[in-house]
Amino acid sequence: MFFHMVLERNLLLHPRYFGPHLRENLVMKLMKDVEGTCSGRHGFVVAITAVDGIGKGEIREGTGFVTFPVTYQCVLFRPFKGEVLEAVVTMVNKMGFFAEAGPVQIFVSSHLIPDDMDFQTGDMPNYTTSDGSVKIQNDSEVRLKIIGTRVDAKEIFCIGTIKDNFLGVINDPNAAV
Amino acid sequence: MAMSMEPFNRLVRLVARAFYDDITMKGENQPKNGRSDNRGMAVVVLDALTRRQWVREEDLAKSLKLHSKQLRRTLRFFEEEKLVTRDHRKETAKGAKIFSAAVAAATADGKKNPREGEEKVKLHTHSYCCLDYAQIYDVVRYRIHKMKKKLKDELDSRNTIQEYICPACKRRYSALDVLQLISPTGEHFVCERCNNELIAESDKLASQEMGDGDENARRRHREYLKEMLQKIEIQLKPLIQQINRVKDLPVPEFGSLQAWEARANAAGLLNGDPGGNDPNRANQGQGYGGTPMPYLGETKVEVALSGAEVKGEEDNGADIGSPMKQLPPWMIQEGMNLTEEQRRGRGEVKSDTKIVSSSTSTYDIDEKKPNDVKEEDKSIQDEYIKAYYAAMVKRQEELKMHQKTQNELLGGDVSNVQETHPGRQVGMKAKREDDDVEWQEAAIPAVANGAPKVNDLNITASESENEDDDGVDWEEG
Repeated sequence: MFFHMVLERNLLLHPRYFGPHLRENLVMKLMKDVEGTCSGRHGFVVAITAVDGIGKGEIREGTGFVTFPVTYQCVLFRPFKGEVLEAVVTMVNKMGFFAEAGPVQIFVSSHLIPDDMDFQTGDMPNYTTSDGSVKIQNDSEVRLKIIGTRVDAKEIFCIGTIKDNFLGVINDPNAAV
Repeated sequence: MAMSMEPFNRLVRLVARAFYDDITMKGENQPKNGRSDNRGMAVVVLDALTRRQWVREEDLAKSLKLHSKQLRRTLRFFEEEKLVTRDHRKETAKGAKIFSAAVAAATADGKKNPREGEEKVKLHTHSYCCLDYAQIYDVVRYRIHKMKKKLKDELDSRNTIQEYICPACKRRYSALDVLQLISPTGEHFVCERCNNELIAESDKLASQEMGDGDENARRRHREYLKEMLQKIEIQLKPLIQQINRVKDLPVPEFGSLQAWEARANAAGLLNGDPGGNDPNRANQGQGYGGTPMPYLGETKVEVALSGAEVKGEEDNGADIGSPMKQLPPWMIQEGMNLTEEQRRGRGEVKSDTKIVSSSTSTYDIDEKKPNDVKEEDKSIQDEYIKAYYAAMVKRQEELKMHQKTQNELLGGDVSNVQETHPGRQVGMKAKREDDDVEWQEAAIPAVANGAPKVNDLNITASESENEDDDGVDWEEG
């Protein structure tokens, strides 16, 4: 699920960036540091939408670096257990398949894939139904439900299932054989 | 309406006994067995609520002989379970009596105690509760569905997180860990320590590795789940039957506390003594918002019951006989027995004072603070009724036209009688009838302007007042 939150961060700025463009440098540094990262508590930072305020800088003792507390608004993405997402398959093996929904990786193990789909080895390993109508291979889009998340300090990883109603392949890439 | 409630009440009673007959309110403290064991109280409370509509929690505690704190905890629990709606209202003791009157009217009780005299200024928060039948129906179905789904999912092992076992060192991994365990080839998962291929746990091979002990446990677990499912079917059968019976019936709806009270008072007016509640209302303290209930009640009487139209007209006849002027707000003092004329004016002015911070009458200022919501509600209802009347006026006039053409053939007094009817019905002020209709139509395009602070409908009232008063500029944009 996506959230829009106000967060705060202390940025350390090297004196070479001081000058008339101090603020722009700070904003650029913020974007470089924060966008694309993940915190266990908030989730993945997708984009920074606004910088609310930059506090007074404090010079660190011993070095010339200055710490600025910056409050900014950003769009966050955090997956939750029970959430239904669309994802793109990145890797298929006999234990299941890996899919990515934006920045988060989701693993669907083979026992959570419907029983009528079997694993086919080959140079393009895939799961396919007995009549060949539905196929899951690299770059297929699937809708899956998250049944578990593992949240580390810097990382979020999910387990999903496609065994429920209305889950499974949405889109087959290039209409295979 | 009491008739249609019976199957729903039975449903509530079945639900109470099925799901809530062993919950205690004790919680973390050590429960002393025996003496203070009050399991089943929830059932008693729910049963009591099936026999009442909106009820004050103190009254319920008294009639059930329960401590009000325990009752409150139980009701809070039911509110979270979505079986009961609660409403908390600040009012004086006077206002509380209005409620008692409403309850008495609803239960066709003849005793009313209109006590006049001193008004207590203190505002106590009274809590009211009522069964929410529509939600109960949905909640019970959802609950049963979730119960069955949970068991079925476990049986099918749909939501279990896969476990992987290393055959060599017997180390167990969860599916959540596999990200770090992918083999270099990407085909399978390898153990961290011994680099052996991991096996998924539900596989027969893995279970054989672990030995029969676990297998038995797993099988027993599955048997237990299947048994649970069967028990659910058997034990919940009467409840499910009742749900099916209730499925097609219209749900008894009591509405919000104020709406129910208004209706009950109106019904009381109709059944009991019409003037009985007036002294109460006229002397209302600030705590109750001073909304002129009789106005509401009487209009509902006219609209809802065709037979009562005559009655409504009689009331209006009295008004027409001695037309009262609309009292300006600074003339209104507490304790004045206001008629509709004066009150009606007051009603319009009241919505003005909401927009303009300075108001001339202390009465209005004090009212504003605790009861904005009620005023808005009341104003909204007023607006609705006025709009309805406008429509009725139009229809009456059409009827009149129709009647006139007919009467030219028949020739008679009928038309005269018809003509006076619209005058009496609309707004209950014969003189202002035309003003009403114009005011209504002028107000409607004005709504489109948009209101910065207040409800559109409230702005309507104030803007019309502007046109009438033709003086003070309400700040609006």
